[in-house]
Amino acid sequence: MHIVKQLMSIPGVIAAGEYAYRGDRFSYEGALTDEFARMASILCRGNTLSVNMQSEIFDSFAENCGCRPVQGWIVRGDQITVCAVGNYFSFIENRDELLNDVMTIMRAKVGDVQDDLLVNLYAKLGGDTKEALY
Amino acid sequence: MNLDKMMDLPGALAAFTYSDKGELQSHVLREGTELTPQVLDLLARSCVANQAIASMEARGWEAVTGQTGFQPLKGFSVVGLEWSVVVNGNCGVVVRNRDVDYEASFKAVQAG
Repeated sequence: MHIVKQLMSIPGVIAAGEYAYRGDRFSYEGALTDEFARMASILCRGNTLSVNMQSEIFDSFAENCGCRPVQGWIVRGDQITVCAVGNYFSFIENRDELLNDVMTIMRAKVGDVQDDLLVNLYAKLGGDTKEALY
Repeated sequence: MNLDKMMDLPGALAAFTYSDKGELQSHVLREGTELTPQVLDLLARSCVANQAIASMEARGWEAVTGQTGFQPLKGFSVVGLEWSVVVNGNCGVVVRNRDVDYEASFKAVQAG
């Protein structure tokens, strides 16, 4: 089952989606409008690149300290939590055990994010990734 | 702030507190971990920055979309390859990914 469909089948998951490098190519399911999903994709892409940049700085302090490459991030809100793993995101309610279940599924389905995050994200757009990036 | 209690979380490698500017104030490290006080200090500074950004995004998201439930922020986590750091306010905990209980970790740093 596709990761987004699997996440949406869990009670308490509000929306889930996938985004690409520029944040403007995305797909989603759940309680978001197209415009809100576009905004969520751009926001997730921005945060993902930011924490990846930070992990490279950590790595320069302590090589192989275990943080790099970053796999994702979580914002815990008062009633809603946003999770991002690789180029997938989900908005979930703060219910008991839901965050652990969602993170387990996302980590298992996305797999370990490899070092070259930009290439991975940009590849979703199609075409010659290396030529477009470098 | 009971760092020793936070070290009881499953897979806890380090627990720490920091100032509003992100200066490391106190910490406990699990013996044998590759983490150092220098890494924790840098981590604390990034945590302050990430919480500020997430707070701004939550506020903006609620204003633009009309959706509620994001504010006030209850924490932020970065999931690394081998460990995750979970923070809220002025304290944080680093937990090994294969043992991590995110909900318990967020509850612990919220209580801190």
